[in-house]
Parts: sequence; C-alpha cells; structure tokens
Amino acid sequence: MLEVKHLSTSFFTDDGEVKAVRDVTFDLFPGETLGIVGESGCGKSVTAMSVLGLVQRPGKIVGGQILFKDRDLTKLNSEELRQIRGRDIAMIFQDPLSSLNPVLRVGFQIDEAMFAHDKIAKEDVPERGVNLLKQVRVPDAQRRVKDYPHQFSGGMRQRAMIAMGLSNRPELLIADEPTTALDVTVQAQILELLRDLNQEMGTSIILITHNLGVVAGLCKRVVVMYAGEIVEEGPVEQIFESPQHPYTWSLLRSLPRVDEKRHERLKSIEGLPPDLIAPPPGCKFNPRCPFRIEKCFSEDPPLEMVGTAQQAKCWVTMKRAYAEMNAATITDTRPGAASGVRPPAELLQVVADLRTLEEPEVLETLAENPQLLEQMVSEEPAALEQLVADHPAVAEKLVTEETAAAVDGAAEDEKSE
Amino acid sequence: MTRGTLIYIGQRVLLIVVTLLVVSFGVFAAVHSLPGNAFISEHLHGAALASVLHQYGLDQPIPIQYWNFLKGAIHGDLGNSFVIQGEAITPLVLRELSVSMELGGAALIITVGLGMLFGVIAAMRQNTWVDYLLTTIAVIGYSVPSFVLATLGILLFALALPDWTFSLFGTAIGYPLRWQGTYGDIVQLSLPAIALGFYTSGQVTRITRAAMLDVVQQDYIRTARAKGLKSRVVTIRHALRNAMVPVTSILGPLVVSIIAGSVIIENIFGIPGLGKEFVRSITSHDYNVTVGVFTIYTLLIGVANLGVDLLYTVIDPRIRY
Repeated sequence: MLEVKHLSTSFFTDDGEVKAVRDVTFDLFPGETLGIVGESGCGKSVTAMSVLGLVQRPGKIVGGQILFKDRDLTKLNSEELRQIRGRDIAMIFQDPLSSLNPVLRVGFQIDEAMFAHDKIAKEDVPERGVNLLKQVRVPDAQRRVKDYPHQFSGGMRQRAMIAMGLSNRPELLIADEPTTALDVTVQAQILELLRDLNQEMGTSIILITHNLGVVAGLCKRVVVMYAGEIVEEGPVEQIFESPQHPYTWSLLRSLPRVDEKRHERLKSIEGLPPDLIAPPPGCKFNPRCPFRIEKCFSEDPPLEMVGTAQQAKCWVTMKRAYAEMNAATITDTRPGAASGVRPPAELLQVVADLRTLEEPEVLETLAENPQLLEQMVSEEPAALEQLVADHPAVAEKLVTEETAAAVDGAAEDEKSE
Repeated sequence: MTRGTLIYIGQRVLLIVVTLLVVSFGVFAAVHSLPGNAFISEHLHGAALASVLHQYGLDQPIPIQYWNFLKGAIHGDLGNSFVIQGEAITPLVLRELSVSMELGGAALIITVGLGMLFGVIAAMRQNTWVDYLLTTIAVIGYSVPSFVLATLGILLFALALPDWTFSLFGTAIGYPLRWQGTYGDIVQLSLPAIALGFYTSGQVTRITRAAMLDVVQQDYIRTARAKGLKSRVVTIRHALRNAMVPVTSILGPLVVSIIAGSVIIENIFGIPGLGKEFVRSITSHDYNVTVGVFTIYTLLIGVANLGVDLLYTVIDPRIRY
C-alpha cells in the first residue's frame, strides 16, 4: 500500500546540509503494523513527516519516491497532498497538549478534520464527532466535545488526537510517539486502543517510537533507524530474538528488564549520534560500535538480507560477533572492545573509556600506545586534565618536558580565561 | 460568565472609581493652582474680580471647591463653563466625546486592521522582499510621530494636490476648518484617522509578526496541517487566533496612545472633539472643563483596559479570572 523508495530528506541550515533521512526504503501492506524505532534525531519523525509532505523549510525531500496506492506523493502539488492528508493518511503526534490548539474546543477540532474533506456527510459530522470520542473511550463524550484541550487529561487528549486521526476513516495512521508523554498505565490503554483499531477497522499503522517495548506490544514488523538510515529491518519477534546490527543489539540491551535476576546498572549506548552535517566516513555507527573492524571506517555497508525477511546494514553482524568472540554473551561493550580498532579521531571517547578503568589498567593502556598520550596533550589537554585528576599516576607518565610544559600551558590558559 | 469573572469585574470597577477620585482631585488642585484665572480677559481688578470669584465659589479653599464639584459629578453634573457663559459641561463633553470616539475608533480600526494584516503577511512571507517592505513600513510607522504624519498629509493632499484630491474624493480633505458639521464625513475622517492610527499600527505589525512566527512553529499548527486543512484556514483559524493573545496585551497601551495622540490630531485638523476642548480649556483657564475632560479620559482608559482584559478570556479560554 505504501512504498517508500530511497527517500532522502535534508535540512538546509546555515551550518550546512543536515541529511536527516538518507536513502530510506521500506514498504507497508494493507492492515499491517510497522514500527520505526531509533533514538532522538535518528530521522524517524522526519521520515513520517516526509510521507505526508509536512516537512517545512529549511527542510526538503531531496530524493526518492513515496508511492501510496501507486501515486508518488513527492510529485503531488500542495492541494493534492492536502486532500490525502487527514483523509487517506492521518497522523497523530507526540505531545497531545501542544498538538491540540489551546483556543479551540476539542469537538470542533475533531469536526473540522471531517469538514476539510468530503468523505463524511456534513450533517453527520457533529454526531460522528461525539461517537468518535466514545469510540476512543472518552467518558461523558457528549459533554466533553465542548471542552477545551486544557480541560482534558493527558491520556484523554491523546485519545482525542486519535479520534481526530480516525475521523475520516484513513487507510493509514502514522502515530509519532503516541505514548511518550503519557504515564505507563495510560500508555498501555492507548496501545490497546490502537491495536483494536488495527484489528477491527483494518487501518494500517506506522508507529514511530524510541521505545522497543511499545513496538513489541503493537507491531508485526520493525524498522530500526540510526543517523537517518535504516540499519535493520524485519519481523518483530525475529529482531528481538536475534538482532543482527550492533545498534539494535545495544538498544535491546538497554531495555530495563523485570525478570533480571540481579539488578545491574542499565547498559546505555556510549557516545552520541553522529553529526548529520559531517557524519563519519564508513558506517555511521562506527564511533559507538563495540564490534567495529577496519572496514567499518572506510566503507559504508549495504542493507543486506541476514535471515528470513530480516535485513541489516552491517559488515560484522551479531552472528559473526558472537562467533569470533567465542561467547554466548558479550560483556565488554566499550567501543572497539571486540576488534581493538581505535581511530585517533575519537580521543575524547578514548579518554572517557580510560577514566572508567582502574589505575593499573590505565597505565598499561598508555604504555601500549605511546602516541596516545602525545595526542591527548596536543589535541585534548582538557580531557587529559580530567584523566589526571582521576588517576594522578598518569601525570608521572608525562615524562618529557615538552609534554609537561604543554599541559601546564594549557592549564594556565584556562585559568587566565 | 462565571462568578469569578463578575467578582473580578467588580474589583476592577472599584479600582476605576478610586482612580477617578485620585486623578480628578489631582487635576483639580493643579489647575486651580495655576497662575491667572478664567476672567483674565475681562480685565477685572480689585473688588470687581473678588466679587466674580466669589460668585463662582472660586474664593473658597480648594478641598471645599473639590467637594462641591464632586457632589455635582456624582449626579453626572460636571458644572458650568466659566468662559462660555452658562454652558453646562456634561452635555458639552459628551458630545465632544462622541466625536473623539469616532476618530479614535477609526484610528483603532486602522491600527489593529492594518497592523495585523501587515504582521500576518510579513510572517507568512518571512525573509522575502514582502516581509522586508512591510517591516520597514512598520518601523517608519512607529518612528514618525502622528503630528508629523498629519502635517505631511495636509501638505500633500490639501496644499500640494488639492485639485487631484478633490476630483478623487469629491471633497477637500484634511485642511483645518474644512471639517464640516460635528462629525465630518468618511473622507474627512480618513486623513486624521490614518495619521493617528498609522503610528500605533507599526507596533501591532511588529507584535503580530513576532507572534505569528512563534505560533506557526507550534505543534498544533503541524496537527492542523496534518488534518488536511487548507493553508488559509490554518493561518487564520489556528495561527492568527493564537497570535492575537500577545496583540491583545498591547491593546490597552495602544488605546492610551491613541487618546493622547488625538489631543494633537484634533487640534491640527480642527476636529471639535475632546482633545481640542482639552487644550482650549487649559489655555483659557476654564477649570471645570479641564477637570471634566480629564475625568472622562481617565474613565475611558480605565474602561478600555478592563475591556482588553475581558477580551483575553474570549480569545484564550485558558485565561479565567
């Protein structure tokens, strides 16, 4: 029903072109539920906004096709797009307080979605508005349609949003983080509501979230995005069972689990997503990847089949990582832990890693890589100072007078500032 | 209207009354302390002057005089003019008030209408030549005082191009003394109203533009667009409605600014309104008229501010008193 082919969307800022979505391809069948996951800024929302043509300046779709029932949405003019928005494809948004107009009555906001298209007969609109609110289980709907959004609770606002989205019986509902702003019990109710809608009305759903638990609860298939690209795609059970991209693997590991025997610290993914104006060469995940190899720094891996109906964009893949480490579980997840590849460009990360180690290990590492210290002195004196503060013994390593002087100089510079 | 709103209105009305008392006493005391008196042109001296002053009660202490004024004012009687013999002030200022309201109302329509129109268009065409042109006009608007604009207008339409103006409108506009009847007509009203309203419309443009630019970034605008609403509907119903909240907040000061400006504009264009009366009464020591006009101005500003605050609740349902 919906085929997104090689979609690329960029934002043209003063600092350069931010490639928010690049070469994204996925499809959706009628009645299907698809999850798009990834951390903030990975391009999942921009992908959804691109589908509806809602990307605004300085953003622009720079390439690719979005085929909806064999019409390319990127080729439509604004009036044709308007007629599809809200009628065939509806979208609901993250924060239901800011996403509803504060000065208009909730009922009116639902009704105007229907008035904007001719799908529902004009005279049926007011009654349907009330029924929709009933359908999404807003109590006392008859009276509530006259309320303003601030008189609704968070969960009810999101229900009203969903009612608005469903008002024209769309074939596809895109839900952008529909549960993020809600507390857990309300979250579960909203998900249940979406599931019922999908099953009873056959509405296809694209669910955008950073929460893998939410995806597990609703979706059949999942697309994992990182830095504007799809890194893994496949059926939900399969991906949860055996993720092949290290990013998906890390994401799953960072989920808190109730059935964990011992309470361990949550394993976060170290580092930050890359700068989308000048992303690292090769695989975009390489700075944070525990299993990277030389090839990851130079060549961008393609999205390839890694199992039945499962694709991943990785040179290594978790299968190989497990095999090469001869381990059933992987414990050391610091970047480069598996391959030992440490690119000089990531000194900050290296220093951060060093600070987590015990002092003898730090000294050992520094002894192994004599250039590392010099590099830190010349490029990251501030980070080095922190390291020295944690491990005073490191200072003794700064034997040569030059390097010691450089550190002193840097320290004095800072003071004088 | 809720009980809270009624209580709020009650409090505000009380505040207006207190303000009226304070302002009228202050003005009363001030004008009576001015050197000279209302009968200066009659060249009265000595006993003759004393007897006239006594006749009008002007020889009594100021608090007593004020008390007498207040007793009348409570019954709606602001006393009689000293200069225009026997003329009752209340009907006089009420008639002049209606003329000033005509001018001020027209100026307010220009201020808000033109200002918001320019503001919305500038915001919708942000960083294009349209935006630059309109914001430049706005800056010129609030940089050029209304009396300068009025003078330029008269120079242009009444002196430089009188024939052209006449053929275009069928009547002469703007030149002093051409204001006919009590209320003039729409053509005669246009120039003073523009002169008065253009200055403040610049501020409205600026605020509307900023508010619109802020509002169109909001999530609910994205929702409105995602619903498939026409962009005109999104702009007017969803964006402008919200952008009107900050615009409303400057409406109070704008009304004050228009009232202040009208004093000058009415004198320039010879419009028989409160502003003209105000200046005449001060220069001719017509104390009671001065105090009366001042009191009416105070009342007007108080009521306008209350009206603006109540307008808030209409525009933004989240605001409740």
